[in-house]
Amino acid sequence: MDLLIQFLSNTGYYLMDFRNVIMLLVGSLFLYLAIAKEYEPLLLLPIGFGVLVGNIPFFKGFGLGIYESNSVLHYLYFGVTTGVYPSIVFLGLGAMTDFTSLLAMPRLMLLGAAAQMGIYFTLISALALGFLPKEAASIAIIGGADGPTSIFLTAKLAPHLIGPIAIAAYSYMALIPIIQPPIMRLLTTQKERRIQMPDMRDVSRTEKLLFPAAGLILCCFLAPASIPLLGPFFFGNLMKESGVVDRLAQTARTAIIDTATIFLGFTVGASTQADVFLTPKSVGIFFLGAIAFSIATASGVLFGKIMNLFMKQKINPLLGAAGVSAVPGSAREVHQVGLKSDPSNYLLMHAMACNSSGVIGSAICAGILWSFLV
Amino acid sequence: MYGLEAISAQNGWAMAIAGALIVMAGLMVLSLVISQLHKVAAFLEKRVEKRSENKQALKTAPKEAGVPKPPAFDIDEAQARLKPLAAELGEPFELTSLYELANRGELPHVHLSIRSLRESKVIVPAEDGRFVWRD
Repeated sequence: MDLLIQFLSNTGYYLMDFRNVIMLLVGSLFLYLAIAKEYEPLLLLPIGFGVLVGNIPFFKGFGLGIYESNSVLHYLYFGVTTGVYPSIVFLGLGAMTDFTSLLAMPRLMLLGAAAQMGIYFTLISALALGFLPKEAASIAIIGGADGPTSIFLTAKLAPHLIGPIAIAAYSYMALIPIIQPPIMRLLTTQKERRIQMPDMRDVSRTEKLLFPAAGLILCCFLAPASIPLLGPFFFGNLMKESGVVDRLAQTARTAIIDTATIFLGFTVGASTQADVFLTPKSVGIFFLGAIAFSIATASGVLFGKIMNLFMKQKINPLLGAAGVSAVPGSAREVHQVGLKSDPSNYLLMHAMACNSSGVIGSAICAGILWSFLV
Repeated sequence: MYGLEAISAQNGWAMAIAGALIVMAGLMVLSLVISQLHKVAAFLEKRVEKRSENKQALKTAPKEAGVPKPPAFDIDEAQARLKPLAAELGEPFELTSLYELANRGELPHVHLSIRSLRESKVIVPAEDGRFVWRD
């Protein structure tokens, strides 16, 4: 009888409290959004299931939880806390990114730079709300709309906030179709949305081979702290463009990135335990995340309008919203909003140029913030 | 501490302004470099093309103006040049002596001449590793 009572007192049913129930509902919501609504399923499904796994109550000390040093989940979480998974994800991203449109029209890179202003505005806002500088920087990087970059910087500066920041970043990335279009329409006129972009020139193979080397040297000399992200990123791109290591490039953009994404999402979800996630700070993080995305979108669009004051060849200011590096979601939204104003206006290729420059820009911002606060 | 006071105390304004300027400047420089990449690519491609054209030209047409043509070899001429030297050495003679004598006289294609004369049995082996002249 004692044995039975002891067993029952170690079950999840006995150890559960209302906070576990809330988190299980949050995990279930993510699974619903991923499967039924198909909102960023590659990210939300592993995260959602990880939330379920991480919030099953257990008796501490048996090496079961993600924060216990001898548990399997802790070993898998190692890749998050050390920044290994984000680097691997960037390797795969580089191997699947086509920079042709950016190379054909380099001025679109400035829109990617402008969209990073959301990061710095959020930094100030987070400091104003009472967050510590390292916490504020980790929250601010949500404005880069890049999940791996957010996790990478948070793991370095404020590892206790990885869970809520990752959940906020990926949630808002999934909500891009809801957040961005109203801001784009508010800040542009119908005439501006109808601006057609010129056709792209042909880009030679040599240019595509020179770009990763030039990008690596220029970006990493400026912000060496971004080497763990941009190094693998440009390496992956060079593998893709060289054409001599197709097997490696193929593996990087399929098996490797998928493996890293699974473990990254799953362990980040499992790390969002109730006592870590359900705090007033998490509410502040979610509120600031929404501001970060909105300001990033707005600053990109407004910079596009400012560029048109000085340029003979006008650019469609909607492209500024694609500077938010949620690839390819924000590019797709820009294209959709452009099509609604003019069904013959195809902005997708140009939007992808801004998207890819946003990825580079957010990684540089992460490096800059890390070097400010190290 | 909250609000503007917190921002100033934590150096927030400086971080935000400096960070924004750095990332804008960095991506501006990168876009400028990218805008010139097509010229660098064109230059490199031109050099590679020129090199391969030169290689092709050397393969198909090795005799060009200004490149000295190697002198033509005529066995009868070689025979006429070497016979007096063989006579001077006396029979039987050593090939090495004939070779040295011909080189001293700066005759062309000495080695080729002696070999051709041997193959056409003008110079034939005698005894003790020496040779005689047969017309």
